[in-house]
Amino acid sequence: MNSFLRTIPFTWKNLVRRPLRTGLTVAGIAVATFLFSFVESMRDGVVKATEAGAAETRLVVYRKNRFCPFASQLPQSYERSILRIEGVKAAVPIKIVVNNCRASLDVVTFRGVPDEGYLQEHIAQAQLRSGSVSDWQSRGDAVLVGSALAERRRLRAGDRFDAAGVRSWVAGVFDSDDAQDRNVAYAHLGFLQETAQRGGTGGIVTQFNVEVDDPSKMEAVASAIDEAFAHDQFPTTTRPESAFVARAARDVIVLVRFASIVGWASLAAVFALIANAIALAVRDRIRDHAILQTLGWTGADIAWMVVMEAAMLGAAGGAIGAIGAHAAIEFAHLNFTMEGVSIEVTASNMATVAGVVLATLLGAVAGIVPALSAARREIVQGFRTA
Amino acid sequence: MSTIECRKLRKDYRRGEEVIQTLQDVDIDIHGGSFVALMGPSGSGKTTLLNLLAGIDRPTAGTITIGGRDIGTLGRNALAAWRSANVGYIFQLYNLVPVLTAYENVEMPLLLHAISAKERHQRVTEALELVGLADRYSHYPRQLSGGQEQRVAIARAIVTRPTLILADEPTGDLDRTSAMQVMDLVVRLNKERNQTIVMVTHDPSTAARAGRIVHLEKGKIIDAAEFEHAAQVAASGAHR
Repeated sequence: MNSFLRTIPFTWKNLVRRPLRTGLTVAGIAVATFLFSFVESMRDGVVKATEAGAAETRLVVYRKNRFCPFASQLPQSYERSILRIEGVKAAVPIKIVVNNCRASLDVVTFRGVPDEGYLQEHIAQAQLRSGSVSDWQSRGDAVLVGSALAERRRLRAGDRFDAAGVRSWVAGVFDSDDAQDRNVAYAHLGFLQETAQRGGTGGIVTQFNVEVDDPSKMEAVASAIDEAFAHDQFPTTTRPESAFVARAARDVIVLVRFASIVGWASLAAVFALIANAIALAVRDRIRDHAILQTLGWTGADIAWMVVMEAAMLGAAGGAIGAIGAHAAIEFAHLNFTMEGVSIEVTASNMATVAGVVLATLLGAVAGIVPALSAARREIVQGFRTA
Repeated sequence: MSTIECRKLRKDYRRGEEVIQTLQDVDIDIHGGSFVALMGPSGSGKTTLLNLLAGIDRPTAGTITIGGRDIGTLGRNALAAWRSANVGYIFQLYNLVPVLTAYENVEMPLLLHAISAKERHQRVTEALELVGLADRYSHYPRQLSGGQEQRVAIARAIVTRPTLILADEPTGDLDRTSAMQVMDLVVRLNKERNQTIVMVTHDPSTAARAGRIVHLEKGKIIDAAEFEHAAQVAASGAHR
């Protein structure tokens, strides 16, 4: 073991004193790992947005067979009927206005919510970065903007904000653990109804968010709601919020799954790149290895040096790529929004660590075959070959 | 001091179906502390014999006993450990590791020895001073002349204080002045440190500095009388 440790400085020198070869290899690994970590972060965002927690209690009531906030129109008066259904704790009518109904990276989503109750409770759980709820309450055109949207559009409290035909005033910016909240601007329901209808009748909302008093009753309550309006002019489809997000984001989920394959393929590229670099290095150093063995280093020492060098290349490239992906995601504030539903690409520590660890392990594995061939080569044959 | 005894030493190489006998039943004794030059034409088996003595190649048959130990019976790792402790090897083409400085090249064999960093530094410094390269510690091989590279290689060969130094045409790639310096150094190691030296050379003037010259031809050792006769025959043939 001691002689293995003593090989580390030599291996390190072999890497840093061949800067062109090391730099090119590390750059290739970094690009591939960047891609992998980025895609894994995207997948993480999808999983977080669509996974149903055991304690999920929120249903989303949407217009049946409608898939865009523009098309989902429900009478606000449904609120009273929903509240009468057994198991329903609260029902919040929400008007959603978006500047683009299709999947896009820069969608502005306005959520119109009642003046009292919902937002006060919601923001109490979140954290206001600037402004205040009372400022929001005091102005009809005020919006409270989620932190991700604010960063993307560089909005601050006191700014005027124009999007999707809605001209509003930023009353504050808030942070939240919920990606859906971080990417919306909360407006007054009446203001949004008025603006969206362009002077037409109010009383129309996009959806209801329904809180159920017991997670085990989710399915029964959803069925009861849809049953209640099945023969009405505006039939509904009610789903748990996670299922609602998953349905709305189905195209993005398919895309992310495909990208995930690309991400794993990029790891295969890491393997091939390191294997190629190490195989060439071993071929170039046949004489060096023969010299070291003449000096008394064993074949196992040589094999260890080769594997360690491959692992170091993987670790360096993996760290640059994965940390680069982490920083890029943090900086870019990427967010897919479709049909008013947001899937945020958040920098995932797990994806970063996975990128570094996998690149290192792949490096070590890629080094095994060249290491064995270097270790098994007879010394005299090594001098002759070189 | 290592006394070397080779008995019935044979080394065959295969080239496809053909078997090439490089050494044939070589018997030789080399006393500890002596300086022996191996001479002979190309292909006579000099380097093969040197490689077998160094434990970097294995005989097809026969035994090599060095310091009372039959090195043919040692496994790969044991043989590596034996080389590390007992052998210093000087190559014709220096064979320094290009990414390491002169200091680091000399230090490399010592990394296998259980000594402190301080003692390692002291030994490397001593070795480099002995070969007259105290001012070239941080130079890479590409920054040294051929003679300087060979002196670094000698420092690397002696830094572990081996009992046996094997040199394969150490002056073969050097100009006359550098060759003289290297040979002075080799002779000094033999005389002052009493290290056993076996050196392969083509050059009679280099061989003349050894205490004993062993001639090889077609894989066999020929005695002095045979050698004189062969030399006379060759000379008369050339004269005619």
